Amino acid sequence: MERTFTNFLQALRGAEVRVSVAETLDAMETAELMGWGDREALKYALSLALAKTPDEKEIFDATFDQFFRFDSFRGRDGETPEANSGEELEGKAGDLLDMVQRRDETALALAMQQAAREVNVENIRFFTQRGLFTQRILGAMGIEAIDAAISAAVRSGEGGAGQAGQLREARSYLFEQVRDFVEQQLSLQGAGASAELREDRLRRSRLGNLDRRDQEQMKVIVEKIARRLVALHSRRKKLRNRGVIDIRKTMRRNYGSGGILFDLEWKQRKIDKPRVMAICDVSGSVAAVARFLLQFLYELHELLHDIRSFAFSGKLIETSSFFKDKQADDAVAAIMDRVGFMPTDYGESLSNFREKFLNDVDKKTAVIILGDGRSNFTDPRTDILKEIHDRSKRVIWLNPEPPPLWGTGDSEMRRYAPYCDLVRECNTLNHLERVVGDLLQVAQKAA
Amino acid sequence: MPGPLRAQSLARLHRVPGAPVHLSPPTEIGMEAKYQERLSSIERIQEGFAELNYICSRPIATAIYVSCHLGKPLLVEGPAGVGKTELANATSEYLGVPMIRMQCYEGLDESKALYEWKYAKQLLYTQILKDKIGDVLSDAHGLAESMEQLHRFSDIFFSEQFLEPRPLLKALTAEEGAVLLIDEIDKSDHEFEAFLLEILSEFQISIPEIGTVKAKKRPFVFLTSNNTREMSDALKRRCLHLFVPFPDAKLEQRIIKARVPAIPDSLKVQLVDFVQQVREMDLKKQPSVSETIDWARVLLLLHATSLDADVVRETLNVFLKFEEDIHAVDQQLYEFTRHAQKADARVA
Ligand SMILES: Nc1ncnc2c1ncn2[C@@H]1O[C@H](COP(=O)(O)OP(=O)(O)OP(=O)(O)O)[C@@H](O)[C@H]1O
Ligand SMILES: [Mg+2]
Repeated sequence: MERTFTNFLQALRGAEVRVSVAETLDAMETAELMGWGDREALKYALSLALAKTPDEKEIFDATFDQFFRFDSFRGRDGETPEANSGEELEGKAGDLLDMVQRRDETALALAMQQAAREVNVENIRFFTQRGLFTQRILGAMGIEAIDAAISAAVRSGEGGAGQAGQLREARSYLFEQVRDFVEQQLSLQGAGASAELREDRLRRSRLGNLDRRDQEQMKVIVEKIARRLVALHSRRKKLRNRGVIDIRKTMRRNYGSGGILFDLEWKQRKIDKPRVMAICDVSGSVAAVARFLLQFLYELHELLHDIRSFAFSGKLIETSSFFKDKQADDAVAAIMDRVGFMPTDYGESLSNFREKFLNDVDKKTAVIILGDGRSNFTDPRTDILKEIHDRSKRVIWLNPEPPPLWGTGDSEMRRYAPYCDLVRECNTLNHLERVVGDLLQVAQKAA
Repeated sequence: MPGPLRAQSLARLHRVPGAPVHLSPPTEIGMEAKYQERLSSIERIQEGFAELNYICSRPIATAIYVSCHLGKPLLVEGPAGVGKTELANATSEYLGVPMIRMQCYEGLDESKALYEWKYAKQLLYTQILKDKIGDVLSDAHGLAESMEQLHRFSDIFFSEQFLEPRPLLKALTAEEGAVLLIDEIDKSDHEFEAFLLEILSEFQISIPEIGTVKAKKRPFVFLTSNNTREMSDALKRRCLHLFVPFPDAKLEQRIIKARVPAIPDSLKVQLVDFVQQVREMDLKKQPSVSETIDWARVLLLLHATSLDADVVRETLNVFLKFEEDIHAVDQQLYEFTRHAQKADARVA
């Protein structure tokens, strides 16, 4: 049963029900508690452990019904369908003929389950494999015996004709059953493969060339990752102001109140929320990455002290306010309106930044620059980046281009690199997640 | 079958002064006999709850069964008034353990949920310390030595005397076990949710001033949510999840019978049918079970024995809270009433 169960979980995941490892364990414990005797109760119980939104409940119900349709739940409590699987191969073929003729659906379902396990039907992925798996299952069930019986009946001449006809009919009944079953497996496992693969593919695919449909899905994934990061990091933050009293500080602080320890000063583990300034190149393919970086940062606003964003191509503007009152999509559109589609000039943009915003950079600020460093052969003004580096806590440069391209043609990446604390290739969601995770981690270690 | 019962294991309550300490693993013993019988089957739970006038559907009873046996928190979601809170109440009554309720709201924090540090009392002690400070430091020479001596007194500041337990701590330390109801968790904020995670997975909490507090008896935990916001995945992962929809007509009739026993059968069938029709409409606020109950009580007071358009019109505001909704239903009044009367005829 364990295999059937694992396959069921795989099918659920495939239907976009998120099932974590912890939930898998819960589900197994639940199944053990409930036994396999009462199908309905088992369904309710597993649904508690596995489906956690109304949508998921609905998918769960459908998947459960579909998946366990062929399994017999009529056995005694605790007896799993697998308990019936130890039959002898010989007896099986004989039985098969018998089962088919009696149209014994339960027995057939069991035989089919067993044969399906033997041929690993859960590996079916594409509809082109339907025929193959149907044949394999029929083979494993012992269809030859029926074929042999048909031949024998035909050979026996006149008298056998009626019997042959009956047998043919029974055979095609069996064939239909198996084909439906394979069909059902394909819709479970095939869908499964695609949804899982899809998220995985999206996380690894270049942000620069997503199609529209994927864009939507990406937003959901970013949100999901962001929520996880928030949950992960906000508990640690709470540890402030708790712990042991710092007598020394308390005395100092209360010096004025005549020695009464009025304000207690705790020995605290200070956790700075990082102040972040994100400077994004929005020319060409970099814009797509910028879009997701900014969505990310703003989703994480709870964890960050202060996020300011800037966008540039030919010149640089501050874009923080765009995100405060607009959806990410609209914000990006508005930004592109203001500074998009100009020839890129890093030197000019950096000097815009220095003029207006350099004063706001302090030792708590992490400056993230996102860009390919391609400046149309204008002066890159590395001196300004050095100034930023000297004033800030960290400079992180994210480059959507792969490292071999850095410094080729008009890319100034190699000249900027000495003034960065970290330079990373960044063009997928996985890259972004890693960068943002690092950012939060470093802030917390700096306690 | 030791697996499922493992969760019911008991642990000593430890309070160790000073820094949190790691404690030896809890002793494993089975679920108490008193629960064992009451939780012996889903049917047993359904019957037992019905005796307490809580009518649960099979999915709900299954949820209680699984959650109690596995010792997993149960997150209950569903529209307002379907009996989420009452489910926890009934469970506490059924199992004979105290009910500890924590109502959530925006801004709820650890000091309101877990424990509060009694600063005033501590201040008083500090005053006394100040008065006695001469004695304490009398034999100290120089500032360094004085500081050293003062340091030793710092322990006074972290003793349990200053600790005021709030629901979560109460539930962890309840001698006889408890039902812990974390009501309307969706009203709390994300930070609080993250904090709950620790308690829900470990059933222990470290209090920096005191040490680690571990549940002596693992409480039965219910969380309810009206879904005003989506709970985090992390929280959901740690809970079993039960969605309670509006009851179907049959179940709702049984609930009405349980809560308003004096109601005539035909009136019961009719009013439930009426409410069920109303729930099909697109309203600002759908009538909940508690409103059906209220309506039943009002109709009983009016000595109604069956529905007619007039009495319905007079009492619409008992189960509808918005002017627009009342108006919308009023449009359908005759049709719905006729349907309800027929429903009764069908049953009869
Ligand atoms: N299954 C039931 N059996 C008996 N009574 C019920 C049932 N469901 C609901 N009720 C009644 O409805 C009333 C409202 O239920 P309760 O307050 O628990 O709802 P709730 O889901 O917690 O609502 P809210 O979301 O508004 O807090 C209860 O007082 C109870 O009398
Ligand atoms: Mg409630």
